[in-house]
Amino acid sequence: MTISRRSFVLLSLCASARQLIGQEQGIASRTIAAQPKPAPSGRPFNAHFTDIAKDAGLHFPTIYGGIDSKKYIMEANGCGCAFIDYDNDGWMDIFILSGTRLEGDSPEATNRLYKNNRDGTFTDVTQQAGLKAVGWANGVCVGDYNNDGFDDIYCTYFGQNRLYRNNGNGTFTDVTKEAGLLDTGPARWGAGCAFVDYNRDGHLDLFVSNYIRFSFEHAPVPGEKSTCNWKGVPVNCGPRGLPTGRHSLYRNNGNGTFTDVTRQAGIDVATDSYGMTVVAADFDEDGWPDIFVACDSTPSLLFMNNHDGTFREEGVTRGVALSDDGMEQAGMGVGIGDYNLDGHLDLFKTHFVSDTSGLYRNDGKGNFDEVTRAAKTGVETRFTSWGAGMVDLDNDGNPDVLFVTGSVYPEVEKTLPQYPYKTPRVLFRNLGNGTFEELDSQGGDGITAMHSSRGCAFGDFDNDGDIDVLIVNMNEPPSLLRNDLQGKQNWLKIRLEGVKSNRSAIGARVIAHYGNKIQAQALVSQSSYYSCNDPRLHFGLGAATEIALDIYWPSGLHEHVPQVAANQLVTIRESTGIVPNRGWKR
Amino acid sequence: MKTDSVAGRIQWALLLLFLQAGMFGQTPNERVQAITSALQERDFAKALQSVQSALQSSPNNPQLWMFQGLAYAGENDSKSALASYKHAIRIAPDYLPALEGAAQIEYEAGSAEAIPLLQHVLKLRPDDVTSNAMLTVLAEKNGDCATAVEHYVAGEHLLDTQPFALQGYGACLLKLNQTDKAIEVFQQLVAKQPEDPQSRRGLAAVQLATGKPQDALATLQPLLDSAPDVSTLRLAAAAYEANKDTPSAVKTLRDAIVKDPRQVALYVDFAEIAMDHQSFQTGVEMIDSGLKLQPNAAPLYLARGVLYVQLADYEKAGADFERAEALDPKQGMNGAAQSMLAEEQNQSDPSRALATVRAKLVKQPGEAFLWYLQAAILSQKSPEPGSAEFQQGLDSAKKAVTLQPSLTAAHNVLAKYYLDSSQNELAAKECRIVLEKDPSDQSALYHLVIALRKTNSQAEIPDLLKRLAKARQQATRQEGERNRYKLVIAPPEPAR
Repeated sequence: MTISRRSFVLLSLCASARQLIGQEQGIASRTIAAQPKPAPSGRPFNAHFTDIAKDAGLHFPTIYGGIDSKKYIMEANGCGCAFIDYDNDGWMDIFILSGTRLEGDSPEATNRLYKNNRDGTFTDVTQQAGLKAVGWANGVCVGDYNNDGFDDIYCTYFGQNRLYRNNGNGTFTDVTKEAGLLDTGPARWGAGCAFVDYNRDGHLDLFVSNYIRFSFEHAPVPGEKSTCNWKGVPVNCGPRGLPTGRHSLYRNNGNGTFTDVTRQAGIDVATDSYGMTVVAADFDEDGWPDIFVACDSTPSLLFMNNHDGTFREEGVTRGVALSDDGMEQAGMGVGIGDYNLDGHLDLFKTHFVSDTSGLYRNDGKGNFDEVTRAAKTGVETRFTSWGAGMVDLDNDGNPDVLFVTGSVYPEVEKTLPQYPYKTPRVLFRNLGNGTFEELDSQGGDGITAMHSSRGCAFGDFDNDGDIDVLIVNMNEPPSLLRNDLQGKQNWLKIRLEGVKSNRSAIGARVIAHYGNKIQAQALVSQSSYYSCNDPRLHFGLGAATEIALDIYWPSGLHEHVPQVAANQLVTIRESTGIVPNRGWKR
Repeated sequence: MKTDSVAGRIQWALLLLFLQAGMFGQTPNERVQAITSALQERDFAKALQSVQSALQSSPNNPQLWMFQGLAYAGENDSKSALASYKHAIRIAPDYLPALEGAAQIEYEAGSAEAIPLLQHVLKLRPDDVTSNAMLTVLAEKNGDCATAVEHYVAGEHLLDTQPFALQGYGACLLKLNQTDKAIEVFQQLVAKQPEDPQSRRGLAAVQLATGKPQDALATLQPLLDSAPDVSTLRLAAAAYEANKDTPSAVKTLRDAIVKDPRQVALYVDFAEIAMDHQSFQTGVEMIDSGLKLQPNAAPLYLARGVLYVQLADYEKAGADFERAEALDPKQGMNGAAQSMLAEEQNQSDPSRALATVRAKLVKQPGEAFLWYLQAAILSQKSPEPGSAEFQQGLDSAKKAVTLQPSLTAAHNVLAKYYLDSSQNELAAKECRIVLEKDPSDQSALYHLVIALRKTNSQAEIPDLLKRLAKARQQATRQEGERNRYKLVIAPPEPAR
């Protein structure tokens, strides 16, 4: 339970106990007090992040709406990014989405593909890859939808979403139309997306969340309505006051085309949500992928797989839709991982300023308990938070939490300097006892740097055995936080290759056994905020020098891989076992 | 509920009854005549003198003790009057006039002692209108609406001519959530006394309480069209606000303040509207105006303190809460406000907030809100179930609901403690208590869903989810309505 300034109404001016929760004007925020910070643990943190984007050649800003003010919410939410090995050379390339400007397209406004030069630098190959595209892009998910061995890209937009088929020769083709994914009605606001083999036929299907139904013609402007003010300052309106989006599920027909099965699958029951990031994973460990959708200012959604091509939505009942006192929150980004090392997939969901991000502990049956305060992540409420990851940054064997932040109202700081537009990254180190400790400068300049960030992706771009972070900054070049990890902690990286399962093995769940610990991870095509992580699962091992793996493939196959040595990448092919790596060099 | 006129009626009915009725045989007629004459002439001192003289020789005559009671009552000495009636009853337990006299005094004092006396009267005279009416009112006052309604129904054919009893009955029906019937009763009341502003206000209040502000305004319209008094204006302002017509609410409240600028409640009402519309500074300014006229009104300091908290001006808020407490030390809410302020100011150090709450609890151990606050602050620390802090939080929440069963926030926090310690059935029970009072309480609905899921009692969940969705939409809508208007103090007219 929480007490807030607004709780003073409990006293009620007429002494009648009335409870009001401070829901901010256009967006749900609980306006709760941060949990007090415990005394520092004093333990060293070996990961240190340095932003090397400029030196790496990531020069172009991510154009996204107005710089000093935002007329429409369209300009405010920003977009995601992806680590993708598009050329199968074993090195993570970078794909970054882009928006545009209300007054007209900026010459710099395009999605960008950067090829990894394997020396810490990247080359912009957008044009030659055929990925130049201008518009209001939002989310990206990556997966091999046609099982040809090359990862494809799906991007959501305000307007037409796009499916790019990887041609295997360094180029992509927009196959949206021929795949049957063209929208026919009014423009939709595609938000999150996920490749997911929901019917376990070995072909990646596609789930797309939609944010709001929006049109520039009818959208209110700052100050016009009650939902267009924040703390008394006129700001872009919404999402409250704007009609909710409708989510879609497309079944992969196995021949390069998709069929809209939204209604048949029971996805259309969710008509009252502002959908954002999508994470598809097997939360109840029944062998079938479920779908979690973080939702803004409305209850988040958890679609449980009925094993017959349909889903049932159970977010509230399973404890992952609302705050622990039953209130809506502004769900933006999602981290997925096993923070308490019990072998189950937990969730971390980011929210708006003045609210904590939520940590949800999974009991293994897909029921969640919010443990934000128990885990001490409730100490942070200062920032509007977006992309997040539950990843082991210091390879100590305990997944940490990192999320990026940034306000949606650049105009507010002029009036209320306590709400700046650019804010730092937030790093929670896992103390290994079910609690976290917030670090700032201990994480390096890359953590304390101020930006208005949105999507971020976690991956090992330099193949040095630790997790780096790619971050989208609004109207600035991206950040590429190189992890300069000290110490001698061990690690293992796993690349999965489906055979009966989809080739990308998206939806696989891996339980790692190392030392006296177990840890679950899932291979997903989207998490964080509208973004896609390095598909190679990364386990920090601490002092453990070997690891055993239980792999639950999307096809339903369970394989045990014993005694894998630490500090290497292993490629594991379904039904075959460990096979030679592709292009990995250290 | 006004009972003065009833009490007066009873007093003089008693007097007349015994001045006209046959007397106890043992009393010599001439003595009785002297006493009754004195009572008739309202010469209570003389009556007392005669009675006391008569009692010297007939100390066991209940009639004389009853006369003495009447005389004392005439002298406004209720204590002696009650003692005299009780003496008469001890001598003659079924002596109706003494029972009625004693019941009346106890009733006027709001004492529960009136209840057995009135029940005794009803045993002797089952159709007694006044006793049924008084029992209806007492039961309603004690919050025992089921009994009140029972008494009303028992004597309905007689009681429906008694406006005060009808009002009590209607109020109880409202409390029992029999809203349609409650409105019917108040409509009956208005039909009986169309010119009576109190009846009209009663109906409007019930309509407002049942979420029909437009009906309430229609009911009040005849009063508003003439020269509305302050009570009418205050109620109309509440109805306008509930009808989402904040400008009219504010204007009406201002009219009321102009009529009675010293009435503290009007400023508090204004502050509440300001609070709802996040116009905290405007609320502060209006309270300031009230304090110029009523500088010792504790509720105004409390209200302004709450507004200052919203403005994060904790120093001023603290000063206001202290002043409120100094002015009205018995008002427990002041201590609670100070404790909440401590919590607000010490977010990074709940131990300090707890220290403040505990210090207040030493002085006010019966203040439920403080126990709730202690439970809530401890809950924020997320103590491990089984730890001393967890147990203390749990015990505090239990204490809060015991002291004030209507404090829903305390039930909610108790439900959370139970959920956290896997006492899911107890959690569900607490949630149901909250939902009885407020069917759209989102926390209670949500916690009940979770508790039921954890106890594998799935059947009720779909309906609860629908209710939760509806409550959520309603809350969002209301939030939107609240944000529609900002209150501002208009600049003064330029001097001509």
